[in-house]
Amino acid sequence: MTSLRFPLLLLGLLAGAASAAPSHDLYICAAVNKGYVIGSKIVTVNGLFRRGAAGEWQHLGYNDTSVRAVDFDPRNRAVIFTAANNGCWRSLDGGQHWRITTSWDMTEPLDVTIDPHAPDTVYLALPDGIAVSPDRGQTWPRRENGLPERGKYTQVVEVDRTQAGRVLAGCESGIYLTTNGAESWTRVLPTDTTVDDIKQSPHDPRLWLAVTQSNGAWISRDGGLSWKQLAGVPSAHALYNVAFDPLHPSRLAIGSWTLGVLTSEDGGETWTARNAGIPDPHKVWRIAVDPDSGSLYASVVGEALYSSEDFGRTWKRGGLEASTVNAFLFLPVSTP
Amino acid sequence: MKKTFLSLCLAILSGAALPAQPSFTAPPPSKAVVPGADTRREAYDQRIDEALAWRSGLVNLAKPTTLDPAAIAAKLVRHEDVAACSARVIELMKEGGSGPFWMFPSVCLAYTGRDSLSAEARAAIREAWRTNMQLRGDTENHWAMYYTSLYLMSELYPNDPAESWYTGKSSAESLAESREYLIHWMDLMTTVGQGEFNPTGYITEYAIPMLYLATWAHDPEMRMRGRMTLDWLFADLAANTLNGVLRGPHARTTENPVMERWNDQASFYSWLLFGNTPPPASYAGFGLYFAVAAKNYQLPEVIYRIAVDRGPDYVQRDLKRSRRRWRYSDVLMAPIYKTSYMRRDYAVGSFQGGRADPIQTHVWDVSWTVADPRGAHSTLFSVHPYSSPEDMQTSFTAYPEPMIPNLASEGKPSYDAPDKILGASPYEQVFQDLDTIVALYDIPPGTRHPHVNAFLSRDLVDRTEDPSGWIFARGGNAYLAYRPLAGYTLAPFQGYKQQPSKAGYKWERIATGDTLLQSPHLKNGSIVQAASVSEFPSFAAFKAAILALPLEFRLEPVPTVKLKTLRGKNVVVTYGQTPVVDGYPVDYTKWKLFEGPYLNAEKGSRCLTITHGHLKRVLDFNHLSITDSVTP
Repeated sequence: MTSLRFPLLLLGLLAGAASAAPSHDLYICAAVNKGYVIGSKIVTVNGLFRRGAAGEWQHLGYNDTSVRAVDFDPRNRAVIFTAANNGCWRSLDGGQHWRITTSWDMTEPLDVTIDPHAPDTVYLALPDGIAVSPDRGQTWPRRENGLPERGKYTQVVEVDRTQAGRVLAGCESGIYLTTNGAESWTRVLPTDTTVDDIKQSPHDPRLWLAVTQSNGAWISRDGGLSWKQLAGVPSAHALYNVAFDPLHPSRLAIGSWTLGVLTSEDGGETWTARNAGIPDPHKVWRIAVDPDSGSLYASVVGEALYSSEDFGRTWKRGGLEASTVNAFLFLPVSTP
Repeated sequence: MKKTFLSLCLAILSGAALPAQPSFTAPPPSKAVVPGADTRREAYDQRIDEALAWRSGLVNLAKPTTLDPAAIAAKLVRHEDVAACSARVIELMKEGGSGPFWMFPSVCLAYTGRDSLSAEARAAIREAWRTNMQLRGDTENHWAMYYTSLYLMSELYPNDPAESWYTGKSSAESLAESREYLIHWMDLMTTVGQGEFNPTGYITEYAIPMLYLATWAHDPEMRMRGRMTLDWLFADLAANTLNGVLRGPHARTTENPVMERWNDQASFYSWLLFGNTPPPASYAGFGLYFAVAAKNYQLPEVIYRIAVDRGPDYVQRDLKRSRRRWRYSDVLMAPIYKTSYMRRDYAVGSFQGGRADPIQTHVWDVSWTVADPRGAHSTLFSVHPYSSPEDMQTSFTAYPEPMIPNLASEGKPSYDAPDKILGASPYEQVFQDLDTIVALYDIPPGTRHPHVNAFLSRDLVDRTEDPSGWIFARGGNAYLAYRPLAGYTLAPFQGYKQQPSKAGYKWERIATGDTLLQSPHLKNGSIVQAASVSEFPSFAAFKAAILALPLEFRLEPVPTVKLKTLRGKNVVVTYGQTPVVDGYPVDYTKWKLFEGPYLNAEKGSRCLTITHGHLKRVLDFNHLSITDSVTP
């Protein structure tokens, strides 16, 4: 769910200019409300936030504790899609007004992704499959040909940035690939339990990482066609998400409730738990790497957003008190 | 919402004396049948008035916080303090809620006050529906409340544009979506059974929206659907109560009513509709939201008679369905085969085991009649205290690890407690024939909480542990024989008492006076047989009769019981296999939607026939018709 959905055009410059003005806007989907249950009073602001120039968090849209994922139309930053309890929300005016684009028959989507090469096309991960809007959320036909009737709980959908209509989906029964805009899906990795996250490397579009609930972490070097398990990553505990360091191709990170933050600095060959300064139990929900500063972020459930300037060796509490971040999204500021 | 109401009551308790709750504090009501329709109606109206008067009487206009939405609705119906109500609505609407538990009260205010609240107050309600996003939730009761509320608000403001609603959809769009879901839900209920079936508490979260639909829907079809669904729910309630107290099993209930059977929302509806049991304290809180529109509902006599005018003992078999299973399951919804055996002195209820809901299911019990159900723990049952975050993932779009720590703060404190008595297990298989229960357990090694719990009520008398292995006791006018199939220990049971809290739920464990039987064996089982005191000359005679019945059992390789029941049936139950009665396997494929002396419906029929004596009512959702007849 942590995403670098867009090409990092300024990557080379960024590597040597971490202290310059940020080249990316950071958006997060966060719940900042401990103990909320349906029916109780929401006492804080939740949902979609944008980090401002001074590091402050600017809230966009409704106060919604359930926003899981966000994506923006690459042609027009004012067009926003979120996945939340009520369905897929869309704003056409930068978050001023919103519409639930789905109906009662699609609930609790877990991820939403726009195809950057066919940006009218939006993919939606659902507890009971996958829907694809061909018209910017006007309609949501199911696109599940090739998915099993049972076993299609979908946690994550990730579009291959190099090819329109090429998408990987993380489901309860494995990773599925489509190359034709979800007209059909093929299972490329079977798993026993849910695939919790899939990411494409910002450095090499053929390189993908995936983490699962009980089958460990996996790497693909051929665009997701074949997968190899990462031997250095334990599979005894659920792994929630994975991140590439946009500034250092060999740096990878994984977030896990039980294991905390795992990092690799050799492209996934070896892994080290990096939790000095993170509460114990760790309860790491999401991790991400800032493409401008190289900071490694870890959201600790109900606690705060933690950040590390040395790729996990030390951590400091970095604001967003009592929050749980469901998604990080970095967008180039140059996008209109 | 429940917390809010509790807080309000505590706040008021600390101040002035509370007005009386006559029916809550009075002796139990008469169980006599009221034959006259006018007399019944008059008593029904009086009960409504009692609840509304109490709620209105709690208000201290000098303390605006005592004027909550339920109080405002009560006052509007009673034509009291309308100006104060209008002012308070404007204040309340500045803080819009976050989902269905805010939506239906605000709909209640919008409709009860549409001719009396000030224009500013009505506008405030409408504006809150523009500015405050409402979560739809993730359960059937959430959706019933959510879509009924959205439907009614869309009808109240039929031509408003998309930008005037939090959904970003126009009134017409929301009306269509809500209507489509509600019809879909009713279709499921009337073809393959209710999801959150036989609920002790959640009944109110269906009854209130259906009453509102029946009362306020402009579309006559939806009004009719609301009315028919209310009849359906209340017919089911009537057939599953004994002296007004709802009997098990339940898709969902909570820690306290699983012991004190009377103490939940269902008893408010029995009191209001049937008049045969006291209402819970504060008229169950939410009950007030039903009461404000209750005069628009007329309970059919045939349902009233089922609740209060019982003939011979009866078996009612119903088909229900499990909660939706998103993943790790071969089916989206599993069938639930529910059995209730109702006698004057006790009831035995069960379904086949496994999970109906991952958290709060109550699978089986024997519960007996008492003169006054208030405070009575009139029940006996066993459970495997199953706890598995991975299992909960079948129904929740969540990761495994946070689920257990979150449950206690979300009002489900016992989920992971080894001594819990609430919840179902995939390792439990239950068979019932009349008043015999056989519950078998085959718990895989390594399972969390690898033991069986049984609840032995403080209200059991003459409880004895017979050398044969049977535990004998008397509950009310019922003789009970309970046979644990493996060794056990006995310990005081600790219940849960909710504490005031400003953030999430807080609970205190308290001794209830009951006893917890714990059996630490993976291969395990329980047998229960029950009888009325009047059937035997003495308790000793009952014991002798039980001991004389042939019983064989073994626990390896899987638990198996072969016995002759008190009613003469030869039963063989083997874990993992279909039970056999008098040589014939139970055929669950022939299970009907309802089958019994009072309620009958074929699976898939959308048509329920409700009968009592000469009275018959047919609820036909195919033609949206209600047909009453009186047979000669």
